[in-house]
Amino acid sequence: MKRIILVGKPNSGKSLLFNQLTGLRQKVANFPGVTVELKSGKFEQYQLVDFPGAYSMSSLTRDEEIAVEKINQALLDEDTALIICNLDATRLQSSLMFGMQMQAMAHRYGKPMVFALNMIDEMTRFGHQIDMDELSRDLGAPVFAISAKTLQGIAEFKTGVLALAEQASIAVNAAETAALPPLDYSEQVKQSRLLAAKYGMQSTVVLKNQNTIDSFLLSNISGGIAFLLVMFLLFQSIFTFATPLMDGVENLIGLTATFVTDLTGPGMLADFLNDAIFGGLGSFLVFVPQIMVLTLIIGMLEDSGYLARAALICHRPLSYFGLSGRSFIPYLSAHACAIPAIMAARTIESPRKRLITMLTIPLMSCSARLPVYALLVAVLIPDTTYFGGLINLQGTAFFGLYFFGILTALMVSLVLSGSKLNDDTKSDMPFILELPTYRLPHWKPLIHRVMSSAKQFVYRAGPIIFMVSLGIWVLGYFPTGSGGLQNSYLGIIGHWIEPLFTPLGLDWRYGVAILMSFLAREVFVGALGTLFGIDGADENIAGLAANIQADGLTFGAGMGILLFYVVALQCVATVATLKAETGSTKLITALVIGYGVLAYILAALCAQLL
Amino acid sequence: MMTLWDASGGQTVMVTGIDAGVDLSVSGRLREMGLDDGHHVFCLRRGPFEGTLVVAIADCVYSLEQKIAKKIQVKLL
Repeated sequence: MKRIILVGKPNSGKSLLFNQLTGLRQKVANFPGVTVELKSGKFEQYQLVDFPGAYSMSSLTRDEEIAVEKINQALLDEDTALIICNLDATRLQSSLMFGMQMQAMAHRYGKPMVFALNMIDEMTRFGHQIDMDELSRDLGAPVFAISAKTLQGIAEFKTGVLALAEQASIAVNAAETAALPPLDYSEQVKQSRLLAAKYGMQSTVVLKNQNTIDSFLLSNISGGIAFLLVMFLLFQSIFTFATPLMDGVENLIGLTATFVTDLTGPGMLADFLNDAIFGGLGSFLVFVPQIMVLTLIIGMLEDSGYLARAALICHRPLSYFGLSGRSFIPYLSAHACAIPAIMAARTIESPRKRLITMLTIPLMSCSARLPVYALLVAVLIPDTTYFGGLINLQGTAFFGLYFFGILTALMVSLVLSGSKLNDDTKSDMPFILELPTYRLPHWKPLIHRVMSSAKQFVYRAGPIIFMVSLGIWVLGYFPTGSGGLQNSYLGIIGHWIEPLFTPLGLDWRYGVAILMSFLAREVFVGALGTLFGIDGADENIAGLAANIQADGLTFGAGMGILLFYVVALQCVATVATLKAETGSTKLITALVIGYGVLAYILAALCAQLL
Repeated sequence: MMTLWDASGGQTVMVTGIDAGVDLSVSGRLREMGLDDGHHVFCLRRGPFEGTLVVAIADCVYSLEQKIAKKIQVKLL
């Protein structure tokens, strides 16, 4: 299939244009360098590939290096029929800087290129106009005025692009062009400045609103308070806003369980459905709304442009721990999932800081820990509210757990930054960050991102939890039937491993659930749901927390489990991603063991001292 | 010699040079951004905790850390 490639500077509306052309919903975010992977979709008879944003063809960071490398490969590929270079109409100089370098490369490789002058709606709102024909003549390439947000000019753009792609591209000899010396872009830099002076908007007009908001959000006092408030509300909302939705899901599962078991009547099938399916799998599904709320809020912060400011605010404090302000974005994203966060660390300018960030990302509390936290916080902390319901004690405990994860990550970073780990100081790049314009998030991609985060969570963990729930139920049900868990196969295995968990103040059931959750952390809740369901105390999913309370889990042992889950690296997918990104099996093995030992010591201390 | 880091919020400065010790890829990027000899830079503010300097260069706003801002020589306008 012939291919059209989409390139441009970060934060210029490129990803939204890709969505509008392909109908696919991918991550669209207002933070420089968010597209760290190639995205592709079908655009009529062509494959449209969205390349990571780059400021220049001379790369500075790892993500730019990947972008430039991939662009060069695509230029050499005879299947590449056309290049679309996306320009931000309100930021012409910085867009053209990359655009004209790209044009020089396209010319060298004999590939046709068009410019999409995006965000034309914003430019018009500022009362600015551009003579497209003249700009097209000056650039020596077709230019289409569009707005990927309002769809202005998109129909004409599609027709024009398809017609141009149809024309045969000039065949080039790949070996010959690859051997050419690198281009000197100084002429393109000069030209882009001249064109921006002729066609671009006045910077005082473009930057006025942004600077007014920044004077508040970046000031020492109000900026610091706003940052802390945003972060606190983020973590509070995970518990407060998601509660009604979680109650809804829980009630629905409860009603379905009653309906289904009424149909089957008493017996082994009813026991299986109640304990393994509704008790095990059901108790994990209850936490999906919390993951959706977390993804929604991070997405809103990202798309609004605030996250780049947060990175700036955090730069100095993070630098004390050997990290960069850019480490903040992967750290925050890691609260949804560690895997995209590890990939996002590619935007960090310094290889050393990037490595430290990647190694400490697993300490951020990802969404997989949410079910564990939510269950144990409900068991250990009273549901008390203060200030008319604004502050919830359980929500504050949640905040405390997230904070403990962050604090541990900072301490580990400090230790790693003092070590000889990746001692490549020569390539230690400085912190240079573009602050994007504040924008209202586009709701469509945002809602899609929220839905896909829920889907990914269920699809990724659901099958494992189902298998584990099934396995635990079979081992716990036989050979004694529904009566005696103590004498079941599971009881025998549990008692065998119990000495390992005795210093943590836990009995064999928690031991089984913790061991099972080394596949994926969410399994812990499902496994306990099945184990306590089998125990026959209460078959209602809502009663799991009450069952654990009634069973006599001590505060120290419960807190120990929580801290264990904050620190231990129990995700196979994260380990695989870390290995791929660092290229070192030895380092990642040491990391898994190190975090495991630390988690065990913390849990034992909690159980003994609290 | 005044450096960009010495500029206060609200001041406009003109770039006069970049320290020769700066890595070539970094100085190249700085020049592309507009931190090139003879170009004007408007200093907006210092970031919180004195960690970075926020400057407007052409149509963009950038945040630069002290380490690099100290290597850009400027003249107050």
